[in-house]
Amino acid sequence: MGVDEFIGRRVALALAASGWAQPVADAAELRGSGIDGIAARTGLAAALDNAEAVVNCVSSGPKAILHAAGALDAAFAGRSRPPLLVHVSSMSVYGGGAGTVDETSALSGELGPYAQAKVDAEALARQQQRHVVLRPGVEYGPGGELWSGRIASWLYARRIGDLGAAGDGICNLVHVDDLAAAALLCLRRPEAMGATFNLAMPDAPTWNEYLVRYARALGAVPVRRITRRRRSLETRLLAPPLKVAQLVLQRAGLDRWLPAPIPPSLLRLAGQEIRLDSTRARTTLGWQCRTLDLGLAETAAYYARPQRVPGSPIRPGAG
Amino acid sequence: MILSANELPDGHEIDADICIVGAGAAGIAMALELLDSGLAVVLLESGGLEEDAATQALYEGSVADERLHSPPDRYRQRRFGGSTTIWGGRCMPFDAIDFEARSYLPHSGWPIALDALMPFYPKANGLCEAGEFSYTVQQAFATAPRPMMRGFASTNFSTDTLERFSCPTDFGARYAHKLRAAPRLRVVLHANVTELELDETGRRITGLQVRTLGGRKLSARARQVVLATGGIEVPRLLLASRRRFPGGIGNAHDVVGRYYMCHLAGTIGALHFTGPVSAIHHGYDVSDEGIYCRRRLALLPAAQRRLGLGNFVARLHHPRITDPAHRNAVLSLLFLAKSLIPYEYAKRLHGEDRVGATQWLQHIGNVAARPFDAVAFAWHMLRDRKLAERKFPSIIIRSRANLYSLDFHAEQQPNAHSRVMLDERVDALGVPRVRIDWRYAQGDVETVQQALALLAADIHACGIGRFDYDAATVEAEMTRYGAYGGHHIGTARMGIDPRSSVVDADCRVHGVDNLFIAGAAVFPTSSQANPTLTIVALALRLADRLKTLATAQ
Repeated sequence: MGVDEFIGRRVALALAASGWAQPVADAAELRGSGIDGIAARTGLAAALDNAEAVVNCVSSGPKAILHAAGALDAAFAGRSRPPLLVHVSSMSVYGGGAGTVDETSALSGELGPYAQAKVDAEALARQQQRHVVLRPGVEYGPGGELWSGRIASWLYARRIGDLGAAGDGICNLVHVDDLAAAALLCLRRPEAMGATFNLAMPDAPTWNEYLVRYARALGAVPVRRITRRRRSLETRLLAPPLKVAQLVLQRAGLDRWLPAPIPPSLLRLAGQEIRLDSTRARTTLGWQCRTLDLGLAETAAYYARPQRVPGSPIRPGAG
Repeated sequence: MILSANELPDGHEIDADICIVGAGAAGIAMALELLDSGLAVVLLESGGLEEDAATQALYEGSVADERLHSPPDRYRQRRFGGSTTIWGGRCMPFDAIDFEARSYLPHSGWPIALDALMPFYPKANGLCEAGEFSYTVQQAFATAPRPMMRGFASTNFSTDTLERFSCPTDFGARYAHKLRAAPRLRVVLHANVTELELDETGRRITGLQVRTLGGRKLSARARQVVLATGGIEVPRLLLASRRRFPGGIGNAHDVVGRYYMCHLAGTIGALHFTGPVSAIHHGYDVSDEGIYCRRRLALLPAAQRRLGLGNFVARLHHPRITDPAHRNAVLSLLFLAKSLIPYEYAKRLHGEDRVGATQWLQHIGNVAARPFDAVAFAWHMLRDRKLAERKFPSIIIRSRANLYSLDFHAEQQPNAHSRVMLDERVDALGVPRVRIDWRYAQGDVETVQQALALLAADIHACGIGRFDYDAATVEAEMTRYGAYGGHHIGTARMGIDPRSSVVDADCRVHGVDNLFIAGAAVFPTSSQANPTLTIVALALRLADRLKTLATAQ
């Protein structure tokens, strides 16, 4: 579920390429990829009749998250042997605190409706007889508009860069294909059943390090030091009208000409010194991450500027 | 957390595993490195978050020769962040030769080699916000930027080493949020350490007397104590702690405060280049990470050894500002605006040359003749320095006449007669003030003289121009502004032999098991390099040692 989104799409493609899974999807986005859109045509409950597992990757907003979790909960109800549910949650469930967090750390929806929806959706997932919960950090990679595409456009425009003290937070990166690999491991490892796994690269960089290294990989250099004044201008003065304009122009398909607003939430996250401990995923699942250099090279190759109209927002391509 | 000693009750005892005295580059770097150690750390800082005149006055003292050394309360800041609050930001590591015992350089030789610091330099570079640890053109740039002087080739000097520039980073402002959030760390502001107390054996620090300017008397106790108060306050505190030993702590052999070094710096001569103006590039290049980098002329180790000279670097510089004969609108503008420039920079920028009314008028005339140059420069300084967080490091003036002066920065040799001592007068807290008797030696003059002569010969031999200077004025020029301000080195020097050093290779005071020194005070020699980066690297190394020690205990 959620294959019309960044993570769901990559999970579905990884399943299709696995040789042992036959994924079906809740949207027709993947037409031509060998993945059937059975669920979209016949409904979720019918699709589950023949499914051994469900991977719920819906993340596009609080409403969609809760809707998908609720629909699954209803569809699972009454089944004597329901499918295994792999629920992709988020590190946002750990709230705005600092320090190292493992899977036993307290959950909080304090960061807003999105985080609260993730907390609530997790709670529903854990009620299922057979479940695994994944809590990925910052999902980056080719096609990842949220943490890769937007940031690339801001780096090219020198609207973001070295943030000074505001960028000392830990950027708990997880490459989307590593996340997909973790989901696949959960489907095949019995020891994953009932467990929760944080997913982030070990020794994750700070946000400043991520931004500088990503900019260098993109060729968006020299990296600019972003002053406090500039950060305030972006997030307090420019972001609200840009967001409104984006919503208005979206309907006419003209929003691609607008610079993407830099939300205050990004700067809050960039300053949050929270480190996601993924030891359990590595030891229990044997999960491994690619190096940041490799991940950034792949991502930068995808978002390299020459493919784009200068100043336009970056759109995910074919990958 | 960050708190003030003024909020603590009189008689309060501060307890910790590690007590660091001084929240400057070394103290804050150590505190940051110890954040995740699980150890209880207290960082005692005399000042507050802002400059305070009464606190700064605690630095006042006397100098033996006011022409040779600035007053002790200049170039130093007694506040959270220490002297990084006025730091220029120039970063470069020491060279391998700096650690060697050189037969021609008296009292040279560290008990550690460059290798011992290499694991800590990259992180130190990060804390200084100077980007990656790449100090040659080849390492720092995928595509080599323009040469410094096209056509210059020398076996004595390299133009391929770099200096990289910090923002400059005020360690207090930059890292306060981390220190404030740390659960096992306490930064105590307004906490003046006035004396160290030894146990009966004289081998352990049992406590530190802490006083506030408001009259509170506190104390601190820790398993390990680190003095990170700078090259002048370190000997002051060691010498003033004389309850058990009249000569002070760590001073059984009268070494504390001796071998005081700064750097030998000055601006001299006229460099005339014969090629096109574009053949000279004396300004900054910006690395991919956005760091200002600058090439310089560095005297190669082989030449140092062959000629028996100290380490030496030089940069192309603008002509003397005070002399309006340069006919440069920007330089004249800087002269006219000198009252707006902080003392620490104005001194070397303008010197103390007397300028008459005629010359003032000529400076005004220079600005009037090229007003657009002056406006463009003013805009550049406003945008790239005043308003920027990563500041354009210095004033770079391209000479249309291909005429420059030479700005040099050289190693000073250790000299036991160059000293920081205690004065008879005391400060507001009853601590003896310092008296500084900075001296240089003939060997220092020879380092500069011979390096300049060698450079002049090499420039001439390449056929790119000529370097004219009066060899007889070298000593006068290298002491024109006195000892280089802000670099206070060698007063608690590192060594194996307690008869000629104060701390061992781990920065532990000889004979005192739990007292360590962080900072340039422990440098046995001064290199050509500005000290901050190495101060931070050495502080990180010390923090690492203390973590190991705590684990062992």
